[in-house]
Amino acid sequence: MALPGETSGPLALRDPDVRLMLRVQNDVPGAFEELVELYQHRLVAILHHVVGNAEEAEDLAQEVFLRVYRARKNYRPECRFSTWLFTIANNLALNSLRSRQRKPVVPFSGSDSGPLGPRPAEQLVADRGEPPGQRLQQEELAAVIRRALDGLNERQRLAVMLNKFEDMNYAEIGQVMGLTTKAIKSLLNRARANLRAALQPYIYMDGEPVPQVDKEE
Amino acid sequence: MPEDQELSEEERENLLAYLDGEADEETARGIEARLSLEPRVRAEAEALQRTWELLDYLPRPDASPSFTHRTLDRVSVLRPATGPARWRSLRNPAWRRLAAAAAILITALAGYGVTAALTRSQPVLPAENAAELEHQLVRDLRLLENRRLYEAVDNIEFLHALDAPHLFGDDSTN
Repeated sequence: MALPGETSGPLALRDPDVRLMLRVQNDVPGAFEELVELYQHRLVAILHHVVGNAEEAEDLAQEVFLRVYRARKNYRPECRFSTWLFTIANNLALNSLRSRQRKPVVPFSGSDSGPLGPRPAEQLVADRGEPPGQRLQQEELAAVIRRALDGLNERQRLAVMLNKFEDMNYAEIGQVMGLTTKAIKSLLNRARANLRAALQPYIYMDGEPVPQVDKEE
Repeated sequence: MPEDQELSEEERENLLAYLDGEADEETARGIEARLSLEPRVRAEAEALQRTWELLDYLPRPDASPSFTHRTLDRVSVLRPATGPARWRSLRNPAWRRLAAAAAILITALAGYGVTAALTRSQPVLPAENAAELEHQLVRDLRLLENRRLYEAVDNIEFLHALDAPHLFGDDSTN
């Protein structure tokens, strides 16, 4: 689906990731590996927040790449590559959730490392290198934010993730999720209103005064 | 002075679209007017922005260190001509260069071998000697074809004596 006012072909070919995918299509050695390395972290991060499980997120991410590889000969660049990739990811994630009749996710604790490596909060702590008190505060904040996100449904959560971390516009999110732009606008409005309500006690934690909303005289 | 009213659902959607850069020009102008005049709208906008910024504190889990390797191994199953070990070796540019050099060397050796075999069976003569040889071969063809028989004969007279159809039959068809 092209953006308004633009043809899909030239737009897509301006995308360097589309050009990389075309090299995968032509079985250029190393191209597919380059694609995996380029998108693995982004894909796993988004899927992790949608399905709520690190190992499942990796399994799904692998499946996404397998599907990309199998479909490479039929690939036609009609949109940004990331839009196409996350469309596949969305389909797989929703199928996975439907198949296991997903329960509300237990809030991520960050205290247990599995075979896949340190959990995100440990990475957060390791990366920031801050005093223990501040780290604890950030871990607690991260847990609060995670719980707020878990309070959204899967579609709201995916729309938020794509909008926030993949920088997708409403049209692209709609393309990924099979919804109209208007529907995405409404979906994001509800999602962000829910997040705002859940995180209200924290949005002025930096000490800035809460704005006054009394009527002007 | 405009009244500072609660935002309707549609107005909240438009405000969010404006903050996301998705509002059309007319909607954006309307939102900007309300932002400048209505504290409630400004407060709502600020709260939405700050909530959005809080998501930056959300952990972004990376793929595990072995993810690429495991993914490529799974993909290698879809490539019938290659296996994991060959995939890994062919990925190495040094291996690819070595394989190309080996292919060129093998091709060159094979070409040399074929050429050498051909030239051994066919000695090369100067052009005039080759023509003379060909002429002689054509002239002596019958002699050459019957050489084994002639070696058993001592002289020409005996040979002529053998040419007696009434004694030995006609072997012109032999």
